[in-house]
Amino acid sequence: MATFTEIQIGVYAIASALYLGYLLGFRERSARLGRLVLALGVLLHFADIGARCIHRQNPVSSTPEAMGFVAFLIAAGFLAASFRYRLAAAGAFAAPAVLALLVLARVVPAEPGTPAMGTLGRTHIFLATVGVAVFTLAAVLAVLYLIEDRQLKRKRFGLLIDRGAASLETLDRLAARCVSFGFPIFTVALVTGALWIARLGLLWGSVAMRPEYLLAVATWIAFGVLLVARVGAGWQGRRAAWLTLGGFGGAMLVLVVYFLRHAA
Amino acid sequence: MESLTDVIVLGVSHRTAPVAVREKLTVAEEQVEAALRQVVALPGIREAALLCTCNRVEVYAVASDREAALRALGSDLAVRASVAAAELEPHLYVRSDSEAVHHLFRVASSLDSLVVGEPQILGQVKTTHDLALKSGTAGPILNLCFSRAFRVARRVRRETAIARNPVSVSSVAIDLARQVFGGFDGRRVLIVGAGKMSDLAARALQGQGATLTVTNRTPGRAQELAVRMGGDVHAWEDLVGALATADIVLASTGAREPVLTRALVARAQKLRRGRPLFLIDIAVPRDVEPSCAELPGIYLADIDDLQKVASSHRDGRRGEAEQAESIVEQELGRFIESFRGRQVGPTVVALRARVITLAKTEAEKLVNGMPHLAERDRRAILNFAESIANKLLHGPQMALKKDTSGDGVPLVTAVQRLFDLTVVEAVEDPAADAGNEGEPAAGQKKASG
Repeated sequence: MATFTEIQIGVYAIASALYLGYLLGFRERSARLGRLVLALGVLLHFADIGARCIHRQNPVSSTPEAMGFVAFLIAAGFLAASFRYRLAAAGAFAAPAVLALLVLARVVPAEPGTPAMGTLGRTHIFLATVGVAVFTLAAVLAVLYLIEDRQLKRKRFGLLIDRGAASLETLDRLAARCVSFGFPIFTVALVTGALWIARLGLLWGSVAMRPEYLLAVATWIAFGVLLVARVGAGWQGRRAAWLTLGGFGGAMLVLVVYFLRHAA
Repeated sequence: MESLTDVIVLGVSHRTAPVAVREKLTVAEEQVEAALRQVVALPGIREAALLCTCNRVEVYAVASDREAALRALGSDLAVRASVAAAELEPHLYVRSDSEAVHHLFRVASSLDSLVVGEPQILGQVKTTHDLALKSGTAGPILNLCFSRAFRVARRVRRETAIARNPVSVSSVAIDLARQVFGGFDGRRVLIVGAGKMSDLAARALQGQGATLTVTNRTPGRAQELAVRMGGDVHAWEDLVGALATADIVLASTGAREPVLTRALVARAQKLRRGRPLFLIDIAVPRDVEPSCAELPGIYLADIDDLQKVASSHRDGRRGEAEQAESIVEQELGRFIESFRGRQVGPTVVALRARVITLAKTEAEKLVNGMPHLAERDRRAILNFAESIANKLLHGPQMALKKDTSGDGVPLVTAVQRLFDLTVVEAVEDPAADAGNEGEPAAGQKKASG
């Protein structure tokens, strides 16, 4: 019998397929249906997380759970935005990202109860999770921006109008908003993380052993530069999109290294 | 009797008459009510509505005597346009019965428009109905037809993409600009060149909420256009500066060489710090050097690009139109069916009243002439007459209720004609929906008038 998580994965898979189908040229109905299915997935997911909260279980107490939570935030964030903006094409990236995270979460083993989690650790993981989710949304928007920019450059005008995609400016603005929302969260996550590790006595002398610390700082710097450049130098468009992707890539690398270490 | 067979439409459109004829027939909106009152005063006409756009003038009417009504309407139109009836005749088309309703459905759904799918017509048909209601010339049948026409048009628009994509060069350009910027509010549009094309394009942009700036080699012409469009003028010598502050540039000068060279645009883009700039080049020969499109943040569309999109959309609309036609057909079938159904009840009542009253009066006459009969016998005779009438009515009544014949004259109509019945009950459409029509999507406003 399928577990609750497997059902969620199935639902997200269907939503992904519908959104991808829309991107590949099916009718608009495909995207609308995709959103409906995605909403169902978010609902199930929410019920799942809610149930665990009721049982006094922190939704981000283990790595797989944290990943599931990221997936939920991405799905819910995208869903909310898609009601206001024409983001059907972004669904083809957001929904599979959610799906991939959930599937990964199934594969990654739960670490055998980190002993000294403490409030600090929990705060760190929770904030980092939210930060990564918001950055993922920003990255999805950036990818979309780059695709649309390319299509406009190549004068594939008909396709764009027919599809009724969100405008370049909307994508740019939304991505900027995601970054400026996620950055402070990520900052606090970074600080609490450092404090946590320091408390565990793992910080000094182990940096070389743990490249993810450096990566995390690099990611933070990338997004920081992006924010400053946007506000100060009026950066936008393609360069901002690439920088967003760079920062997101860094964040993903941090996660990958982290998981590899825990899986080992 | 009241049935769809009484609905007629008579008029001219872009398909049958040149503008020289159409303009003579045009009735200004404030004169429509008076004209309608005149029309219903014509012999044989009970209800009327007048649809008047720059592409068509049509009178929809419900007539008790079709031939007389058509003749009267034709000469009325001729008089109004002050042309000879014979001159008008070849341009006129006439439809009646379900064909008239079909025509109304097609018109409202924009299938009969010059630009198929243009959004204004539905509003115009709505106005037509409103004016007819206001002047009291719209009765139950026209109300029914019009409110159903609105529903059909909405369904066509919802279920087909007939009105979705723009088909004119200027609206494609506007849509593309919207693809980059999301909207025109607070956008700065720079118009390079002050010729006829600039004028047209500027007019298309005017209602969109952008600020217009004009620059032209001859400052006088720039000034002229700027005043007309409510914009301001920028010095031709400072094109780079003008580009630096603009979001959308519309170029249509008569210059032989590109005015906006790559070097110039690159310099402006440096000042803009990469903010996106959309260049629309509608000049031939072109005003913008094509390689400008390679610069980051610069998007370029020339007249060919725009025309390509527009014509592909026109093709798309043709495909969608077929689907729309079948929706209209289907809705017409349903409409006729429900109209007939709505008639059955009142017709049965009228038929019964007619036959039973007749039997009763005749029987009464008979017994009144025979005073020697006992009271019991008199009642027996009266009952006998009524029961014959009832028995006779049973068959036709059942047949009327069961009638689903698709083609030919429906039984309801046949019975009404055979017995010369007047069905007085108002035929109301329970599904008729009030409320305003959806406004045409922004950016799809095309001149159609």
